[in-house]
Amino acid sequence: MKLSLLDQLRAPGAIRVEFQPIMTVNSHGPQLYAYEALARGPKGTSMERPDVLFEYARRKSVEAEIDLICIAEVLTAAELLPGKPSISINLHGSTMTNVEQFAETFLALAKAHDIAPERLMLEIVEHRAPWSMDILRTTLDELRAAGIRIALDDLGVAASNYRMIVDCRPDHLKIDRYIVSGCSTDPYRLAVLRSIVTLAQSCAAIPIAEGVEEQHELETILSLGIDKVQGWLFGQSKPASAINLERIPS
Amino acid sequence: MNNRRLLVIDDEETISRALERYFRRLGYMVDRARELEEAEALATYTEYSLVIADLSLTGSVGSEGLEILRYLRWNCPRARVILLTAHGSEYSEREAYRRGAHAFMHKPRPLADIARLATEITRGGVH
Repeated sequence: MKLSLLDQLRAPGAIRVEFQPIMTVNSHGPQLYAYEALARGPKGTSMERPDVLFEYARRKSVEAEIDLICIAEVLTAAELLPGKPSISINLHGSTMTNVEQFAETFLALAKAHDIAPERLMLEIVEHRAPWSMDILRTTLDELRAAGIRIALDDLGVAASNYRMIVDCRPDHLKIDRYIVSGCSTDPYRLAVLRSIVTLAQSCAAIPIAEGVEEQHELETILSLGIDKVQGWLFGQSKPASAINLERIPS
Repeated sequence: MNNRRLLVIDDEETISRALERYFRRLGYMVDRARELEEAEALATYTEYSLVIADLSLTGSVGSEGLEILRYLRWNCPRARVILLTAHGSEYSEREAYRRGAHAFMHKPRPLADIARLATEITRGGVH
């Protein structure tokens, strides 16, 4: 019998993981700050595209289940990374509230893979609010107490807005590529970036610019005081087995 | 940029692949979906110029192929839509046009006929 698409996604190993470097760029040059883990569906299917994969999961109302599968696959793949780099993992905010004892489950999984919580960052993406605020706060507190950092993903677009900052109190603000791309020539993008830098300072959060692809964009980002960057300028995503730390510029 | 983007929605792999191959040769970029939710997920992130959908998708619940018309009408308003069916009734044909289909075709039909119809509706002809 032909498997449904959902059953295909549930099969062990169907979700593949690649890692893209997040760099710190300062007077010492670029240095690896963390890897963002990027989940991909089965090759040769529409689910190979992560935006389609997670949109499908949301439409099937299985985002928590798919998130948990992705987390398990990421932690398994992360064991192959050279050194002991920090790893950033995407997660729906609703998963933290809809999965019972999420913090406990996540920490147990990390321990099973021998990955210290201090190496982990959770990037919250959200497309659907509201959720239970009490559970969200408790879960975030438990995760933070264990040493896990919280980032707000896609800042500046979609549902990643001021409410998310208020609700999640993130340690990092990941600025969406839509704002970053073309920032060196667009005064509106520049204005938004400036306001995010001010916001980050006021919230004691570290901004990370995503989608940096051009040298002039990097220069603009750095001139604003953002020193954490991610994008093709520093490398595309790769499977853990293809990553060699010596290739990361340092 | 290639503005000939086709989404094929059909749970029958053989037909879906045949349409993909045929329309790729005509210069279309083609995505395929076999479920309603998969089609909606694809259409959320891609602006299709043409959608060829089967009326009956076994992986979906309810009015299946007709459901995608409602979604496309609001989220992909420029897409021209051909609905294919092996068992369609007069009611489903009427309903398809009411929900925004540009053409309704009974299967099986040669791929060349579907391609001709696609050309007509993308030029503004038919319904």
